[in-house]
Amino acid sequence: MDKALEHALKIGADFAEVKGEDTVTRSVEAVNKEVRIVSETHNVGIGVRVFYGKGIGFSFSNILDKEKVCSAVETALKIARASARKTLIKFKLAEVEVVEEKKSTKVHLHPRDVALEEKKDLCLRQCETAMAGNKQIANVTSAFKEYYGTIYYSNTEGTKVSYEPLLIGLRITCVAKKGKTIVDAMDYHGGSFGLEVFKEVSRTPEKLAENAAKWAIEKLKAKAAPAGRFEALIDPRLAGVLAHESFGHLSEADFVVIGASPLTGKIDQALGTEMVTIVDEGLPSKGGYSIYFDDEGVPCSRVEILKNGVLSYYLHSRETAKALKMKPTGNARSQDYSFEPIVRMRNTYFDAGDWKPEEALSELKQGIYAVDTAGGQVEDTGNFLFKAVRGYWVENGELKYPLRDVALTGNILELLKNVDAVCNDLEIFSNPFGGCGKMEQRVFVGTGGPHLKVKNVLFGGAR
Amino acid sequence: MEKMLEIGAKAVNYAQKLGVDEAEIFLYMENFTSVKFVGGVFASRSGAVKGIRGMLVRIAEPWIKKKGIPMITSGIRAGVGIRAVINKAIGFSSVSSLEEKRVLDAVEEAVKIAKVRPPDPNWCSLPEPEKPTHEGGIFDKKISGLDVEEMLQLCVDCCVAAGDFDKKINQAITAVFATSTYFSIVNTRGIEMSDKGTFFSGFVSTKAKSGTEEASSSDFLTSRTFTEDVRSIAISAAQRTMECFGRKPLSKKHVGTVVFENMSWSQLFSTIFAYGISSFNVQENRSILKGKIGKQVAKEDVSIVDDGTLPEGLGTSKIDDEGVPRQKTLIIDKGVLHGFLYDNYSAKREKQESTGNASRRKMFGAAAYANQPKIQPSNLILQPGNSGLESLISEVKDGVLVKGSLIGAFHSNVVTGDFSVTAENVFKIQNGTIVYPLKPCTIAGNFYAALNSIVNLGNDLKSFQNIMCPSVVVEKVVVST
Repeated sequence: MDKALEHALKIGADFAEVKGEDTVTRSVEAVNKEVRIVSETHNVGIGVRVFYGKGIGFSFSNILDKEKVCSAVETALKIARASARKTLIKFKLAEVEVVEEKKSTKVHLHPRDVALEEKKDLCLRQCETAMAGNKQIANVTSAFKEYYGTIYYSNTEGTKVSYEPLLIGLRITCVAKKGKTIVDAMDYHGGSFGLEVFKEVSRTPEKLAENAAKWAIEKLKAKAAPAGRFEALIDPRLAGVLAHESFGHLSEADFVVIGASPLTGKIDQALGTEMVTIVDEGLPSKGGYSIYFDDEGVPCSRVEILKNGVLSYYLHSRETAKALKMKPTGNARSQDYSFEPIVRMRNTYFDAGDWKPEEALSELKQGIYAVDTAGGQVEDTGNFLFKAVRGYWVENGELKYPLRDVALTGNILELLKNVDAVCNDLEIFSNPFGGCGKMEQRVFVGTGGPHLKVKNVLFGGAR
Repeated sequence: MEKMLEIGAKAVNYAQKLGVDEAEIFLYMENFTSVKFVGGVFASRSGAVKGIRGMLVRIAEPWIKKKGIPMITSGIRAGVGIRAVINKAIGFSSVSSLEEKRVLDAVEEAVKIAKVRPPDPNWCSLPEPEKPTHEGGIFDKKISGLDVEEMLQLCVDCCVAAGDFDKKINQAITAVFATSTYFSIVNTRGIEMSDKGTFFSGFVSTKAKSGTEEASSSDFLTSRTFTEDVRSIAISAAQRTMECFGRKPLSKKHVGTVVFENMSWSQLFSTIFAYGISSFNVQENRSILKGKIGKQVAKEDVSIVDDGTLPEGLGTSKIDDEGVPRQKTLIIDKGVLHGFLYDNYSAKREKQESTGNASRRKMFGAAAYANQPKIQPSNLILQPGNSGLESLISEVKDGVLVKGSLIGAFHSNVVTGDFSVTAENVFKIQNGTIVYPLKPCTIAGNFYAALNSIVNLGNDLKSFQNIMCPSVVVEKVVVST
């Protein structure tokens, strides 16, 4: 990589950076105790980005001999030169300190030291538990996935960093059937952990399987959620998706730079109640996906996007930070070596408050407890529609009965003004099954929050 | 490629040492360049343009011809995919490298995976070597040596040409992709084969605004060789955009004749029909064509072949991605179903011969080496008829013409053949002529029913990746708003 940078300067680049990658993704999936899929992909390669005048050039290779690496550098410069002549506008890179560091996440049972057989057993144990004695469970799918390796970054300013990403996850989906009613439920756990995490009492494969089976069966007798405006208690998983999908994307500075985000020009304005703080960071104190540096070599800083209800900062790459005269936050990320970095989130969550979850629930006179989400859609105006995975009808602080088809709609900027309780049970979730997609690139992220109580949420309103 | 075969042979030997029953190494390298150029937005309308490096850029400057936002990526993707078979259990692993040590590590991984998987009772064996019957597809040296500057200039020229076509055009995006690929397959049954190919595609999309009315459309081409014809695509994209102005709503639901332009029809054809003729889907009871061999499944004028031997075909190669020679396979002859497409696995499952239709290529997503082979058409061809699109239209008394891309075609029900798509470039036909453009419409029907109600086929055979088809006229299609 050093040679590549040297070569870039020698042939006339203004600035060059190299991302190197050596990572493994491995997954195991079992359906009804039968191991259906086991796959492994090893990803090795480098990506080179070169700046020349107004132009930027990008090239990559996974043949890593000197000749091919130098030719990737030459191609990137050639592209930058050609682009320079045709580029209308471009922002410079914000200045950053030179960093030289190596980081890794220390765990007891790193997936690279654990036999494939044991990971297969995690899945089989889940299937076993979910299928045992539950006649209504028609189908069980269990999946384990892991991602780890090393990411390297260097640039011609002298920054040279590397870190060892690590992400594992275990997920179980149970399909329950009764007559013509077919429902499913899921439980999962994951993050930058070693496999010891599945020995915690509340996270064993058996516990996760029991939950999924229990929730699926419970859903068989769920009533359709009523439509209308209700008070809501939102669980940490759903809170995380709200923080990421509906709010986080609006704070990505590439959308702000061109005025496409409704958060444009609103720094220092109060957007939510005082108890709401939304954070995006690389290294949450517990849980999530640990990211030490972004793919421009900038250390991942903790960003309080919304602090006590007031919009405080955007998420930046070096380019957007320069354009908005702010500091880079370490949010420039790429899917892998073959993509250029763009502004992305890391771990985005509602920060903890001081309510106890049982207090928040007891304050709920009449409303809906909405749990987790199976998807939905968001617009860049902040409008959202989320389908909760499960829900419960609440009266006088008590869960009365389970609900199905719990869909929440609204605008995040309105919702933030209606948050009247933020609990102290912050959890941050991450897993290697999904990830966040933007401009054809998919990256792993973490999302989370504590339980939130929100007034006046519109349910069942399919717009 | 000799070096790839050498690594492949070493990997196969190593797998045998590790005690596999069978092993196969697929080695792949592609040299890929993508050049995209976003050109032009009107000064007065400082519109937002999806732009470079994931950034949206507000361009408030005047429509500066020949400048815009270039987005260029070029690189090499190489790697191997390994299948190791132990007691009928298949292990697959892949690595994005051709380095010997990493390849051998991946072999070990595939063996480990095979050991934790259950046996597959339908597995027989890997394919045996067979001599290819033809020379494979075209390899254009010009593509492997293409200059990014030349490609960028071509894109800029296309955007300018599209902008010049009409003042109402306020944005044009041109993209060209050039790829050269090399692959080798080595297996324990004695296959040691290689092939290479080149691919080129061009895409132009344009947007226009007139008063409050906005329109957009696009056109594209695919080819085995470099071609400057992208320029004509730019003009055609602009033309397709401009002809949408003056749209009227569909007065009432139309159930009747619809003329599908080749591009529109190809999307349904490739999504639904390619699924239905995969023998794997037939075996798994997921195809409506199951049990219909020898029967009439389409109008007599309909003949469909899969031909992996056409030199200019995008899906042509000497061998498929398991090393079985590509061939020409008759699917429908004059309306009668003749056969399905097979890879090695599905063929041996029912004691048939593979038709050389194993493919690891995907249009999006992982590079070829990271995928296991699946049944896919080589070049799936709907044989053309005799008349041009205009003459097809001239025979329609009351109908609708559907052009361009269909939104939702890829979400059709591939098992039943039901489709419901949104078309943005739609026109009303009356007494043999196009009378006016229509606002976006929903087009719904069933593909297999449509095969039986095709009343005319055009002579305008066009290539869409590895699908070739002409425009068609279909009865009993539902068009609504």
